Amino acid sequence: MTIADAPVQTGTADVAEPGIRARGVRRSFGAVHAVRDVTFDAARGRVTGLVGPNGSGKTTLLLMLASLLQPDAGELRVNGIDPMAEPQAARAIIGWMPDALGAWPSLTARETLQFTGRLYGLSKADAAARAAVLLDVVMLADLADAPARVLSRGQKQKLGLARALVHDPQVLLLDEPASGLDPQARVHLRELLRGLAAEGRTILLSSHVLSELEEVVDDAVFLVAGQTVDAAPDRTATDWRVRVLGGAASGAAVAAALGLDAGLLRVDRGDLIVPFPDDAAAAAGLRALVQADIPVLAFSPAVGSLERAFFDLPGTPSPGTPPPGAPTPAPAPQDGGAA
Amino acid sequence: MSLSRIGALIRLDLTQRVRSVAWYVLLGVFAFLLLIVTVLSFFAFGSTADRGASVYSIVVFFVLLLVVLVSPTLSGNAINGDRDHATLAPVQVTLATTGEIVLAKFLAAWTTGLAFLVVAVPFMAVSLVGGGASGLTMLVSLIVLIVETGVVAAIGVGLSGTLGRSLFSVATTYLVVAAFVFGTLIAFGLGGLAVQSETTYSYRSYVYTDDGDIPDPPVCGEWETYEGTTPRFDHVWWALAANPFVVLADATPVTLNREGYPVDMFGWISVGVRSAQLAPRLETVWDECDRSMQQDDSLTSREILERTAPSWFVGLGIHIVVAGGLLVWGWARTRTPARTLPPGTRIA
Repeated sequence: MTIADAPVQTGTADVAEPGIRARGVRRSFGAVHAVRDVTFDAARGRVTGLVGPNGSGKTTLLLMLASLLQPDAGELRVNGIDPMAEPQAARAIIGWMPDALGAWPSLTARETLQFTGRLYGLSKADAAARAAVLLDVVMLADLADAPARVLSRGQKQKLGLARALVHDPQVLLLDEPASGLDPQARVHLRELLRGLAAEGRTILLSSHVLSELEEVVDDAVFLVAGQTVDAAPDRTATDWRVRVLGGAASGAAVAAALGLDAGLLRVDRGDLIVPFPDDAAAAAGLRALVQADIPVLAFSPAVGSLERAFFDLPGTPSPGTPPPGAPTPAPAPQDGGAA
Repeated sequence: MSLSRIGALIRLDLTQRVRSVAWYVLLGVFAFLLLIVTVLSFFAFGSTADRGASVYSIVVFFVLLLVVLVSPTLSGNAINGDRDHATLAPVQVTLATTGEIVLAKFLAAWTTGLAFLVVAVPFMAVSLVGGGASGLTMLVSLIVLIVETGVVAAIGVGLSGTLGRSLFSVATTYLVVAAFVFGTLIAFGLGGLAVQSETTYSYRSYVYTDDGDIPDPPVCGEWETYEGTTPRFDHVWWALAANPFVVLADATPVTLNREGYPVDMFGWISVGVRSAQLAPRLETVWDECDRSMQQDDSLTSREILERTAPSWFVGLGIHIVVAGGLLVWGWARTRTPARTLPPGTRIA
């Protein structure tokens, strides 16, 4: 489904500029440093995931990009436009979907979109036409004329997404867009975002659900305690999930085929969790299992690569028990202000 | 400033208001109270010649009272209430500027307040049946009523943009309104009593015989002098100028009846307030022997009005400055991209 037939024409900025550019951005609320040092680019035509624990400054960063909050220091550009210096120009090309579900309770979904369109400068007829298109896009057409107060959380989430798309924005800032959506709506959202990116839009979205983010993002920006950090590139000692016919009972056979001590293997929900030092070792291990005539049903990373990268981040608590003597993670800042 | 965006914002606000049941209940209660007041006024003034004028002025005062009581709840959470419901930021990210948002909120709150005036119109019209109300009085009082409704709306919207908590801003709006309605009265009363002047009262009378008769030829007694104090309301009369009820009364032209008394409540309050401008007599002499020395201090309504200055435009000016100032403050605190946020709030 395309939404390119929107009546708004926007985006006149320098095409060489990335969709979003942040350099050394900082913002504090009193003593709380919500965002300490954020530097990243989000490319046009790609979906960039914003990954970080609670209170890492994701929402504050999105608020600054959406031209609602001033950074204390640093530089932000959206399609080359400074949202602080030219908020009007930036707002014309930015679609922002907040994490809080703010819908006018007594207005219908259709009216909500029409009013929003009017506020983006659409004529009455254009706003009505645009609302009708978007209600179809987000699959809310059958609830178009119900007041927003009767919408479920997921339905409000869809309405929020449609509202962010009213003016056919070139840059989309989505704060937890998938929360509250049912599986079907998530798949639909994924396709929608891929389609929007394919049309050349820049999409930055934050989510806690890493597995879900993994299916839609091209790039990821990791945010820890208000700072962008490089994801650890080393792939050392990662766990792989191995499912064999016969279940965990074949653990000894698997260990033997891999030449490993059976004590290194763990069992999780009937699957074996096998540690390999790196990807090459994992590939060799799979070959060894097949050659040993062990009926392998599945062989996959135990956690997604994003999740793995996330837990490899400095300062992020590891999901397992930290080895003794491991550096204690820096405490994440309290949620304060807009963080 | 875009008129179409302001129009859309006003409609957005009003659409939500007219869909709330509470709003109609409030209008119904308002109409019911007005009905009672109108009927009672007709009974109270039914026998007077200009009962229409009296009833009209009472109805208008009552409308102003209700507007002052109701308007803060209609406007005092306009902006921070939206922030609480997370519906402010989605508007702020559109092309609507902060100025447009604040102005639209103000105009919507004002319009809502004016709906109460519309409900009151039939009751004002009924009072015309009684006769006596002049067209000019009606026109001026209506204009003042409309402006005062806007003043309360602006105070509420301004404070709702300035203060983070909607409950707190509604309460503060009530306090500001109360400062005008009651604070001016308290300032006037206490101020006048606090500044007292010395008065002397001198008198002499005939020396009476033991029978209580005046001897012939009359013999004048000695002068006797008493000292006392008197409150100086003439120094603080301006405190009343900022009272909305005084503004309403003072702005409407006073009509005097054949006996020289005001025909309506506007006139009575106007004359009463204006008389406070007159300095009290500090030296009073009462001489029974010389009738020509005896003074009659009481002035007629017409004399009071002629010797004093109207003050309603000063009061109205103060209201408009305070209301406008609060709107500007609210605008400054709501501006995006925000540098500082009202304490305890999230922007979204």
